[in-house]
Amino acid sequence: MGSHEVAGEHQVAHHFKSALDEFEACKQAMWIFLVTEVLFFSGLFVAYTVLRVFEPEMVKAAHHFLDWRLGALNTVFLITSSLTMAFAVSASQRGDNKRVVRQLIYTLILACGFCVVKIYEYSHKFHDKLLPGAHFGNTELTANKAGLFFSVYFVMTGIHALHVVIGMGVILWVILRARKNEFSPNYFTPVEITGLYWHFVDLVWIYLFPLLYLVG
Amino acid sequence: MADSNQHHKNHEHHILADSTAKQVFVALIVLTIVTVATAQVDLGIFNFAVAMLIASVKASLVFMIFMGLKYDHRENSVIFGSSLVFMACFFVLCFADLLTRGDVYVKGSILPESLVSQPSKFPKAWVSTQELVAHGKELYSAQCVSCHGAEGAGNGIAAAALNPKPRNFTVADGWKNGPKPSQIFGTLTKGLNTMPAFASLPPPDRWALAHYVRTFGPHESAQDTAADFAKVGVDPNKAEDASAGPTSIPVDAAIDLLSTD
Repeated sequence: MGSHEVAGEHQVAHHFKSALDEFEACKQAMWIFLVTEVLFFSGLFVAYTVLRVFEPEMVKAAHHFLDWRLGALNTVFLITSSLTMAFAVSASQRGDNKRVVRQLIYTLILACGFCVVKIYEYSHKFHDKLLPGAHFGNTELTANKAGLFFSVYFVMTGIHALHVVIGMGVILWVILRARKNEFSPNYFTPVEITGLYWHFVDLVWIYLFPLLYLVG
Repeated sequence: MADSNQHHKNHEHHILADSTAKQVFVALIVLTIVTVATAQVDLGIFNFAVAMLIASVKASLVFMIFMGLKYDHRENSVIFGSSLVFMACFFVLCFADLLTRGDVYVKGSILPESLVSQPSKFPKAWVSTQELVAHGKELYSAQCVSCHGAEGAGNGIAAAALNPKPRNFTVADGWKNGPKPSQIFGTLTKGLNTMPAFASLPPPDRWALAHYVRTFGPHESAQDTAADFAKVGVDPNKAEDASAGPTSIPVDAAIDLLSTD
């Protein structure tokens, strides 16, 4: 899209009939991308479920070594960041670029909060040798095969955290464009599809939190 | 998108009101608290069901309102819904396989010593010896007693739940595959009705079980002929090379291998 911008005003690509057509096509493409994301995460959810079905006692014992309060804190961070993202999208639809910038900065700060908690959790796990597979070396957790739980934990939360970090980069890019007053009621596509992506990241965490931290 | 012209003639972008967004936010926070609260109560298997139900309510709030599917064209809902259909197929097919699967097929060389039988111990396991019967007794009390019972009368603890009932080894009739050692060996290898295959046990172990099971009843007269041995692929004149080990192992053993690898 970049090559069609002239002096901050978005030009509709020539192969679209209208700005609305262009917007709808971009949004639909994002939904199709999100379908591939669902399928990507499906593999991990299947792996998790297999482990939980075949090793219920081990999963139960191992999950006590995660701190649900930190998981809950991160849930609040992500849900709140979804709210600020929703504010940013509606502000962009009204052409209020100042509010877009402000709300997206809040979103970024909350995402940073999420990452800080994650880093804190990870460093704790490394220190206690609560590590995947053969690297597992914790002596307090004696359940058989506990390394498998931490394999699943690190892969699921690690890939999710990677999505958060990529999302932060995209949000930063949208902030820079909003600062140039690029968005208006006629053109706010980047904000909208970044919003879809960000809400999706929140959506994955909504499942990860009870599955990993609240086994019961 | 071909119909978008007529479709969108009067269409304006839906702008999510701040008040609606805030209501969704409050609902998500409240549901998070409910999730944490219900996890503190032990509901057994229902903990999982309740947690997933609440997560799905939260997820639908996110994709209906925040992601706007509620206000969007139906086709985007269909696209997103298709991913959930395929995810369901993924789960159903995986578990249809996993929950009905006996053994994992392996190449012998990756197996640890404990799973490979020692080749020298029972070179001609199809010929009954006291050692083999004693070994069979050990295996029997670990693997078979829960269904067939300690006296071999087919009245183990788990027998009540089984239909057809486990074989009563103390009587002469009713042996579907016959009571010769090779025939019992064959039954152990392939399984029968509700009894799973025990092909994951090394062949000498299966022979040992066959010899032990025969001690329960009046089967001395039923002896193997050359043709019987041929049916189970044994040449009675040669010592068996058991060093190749089993070609399949139970799922549990495979998971153990993976987690220690």
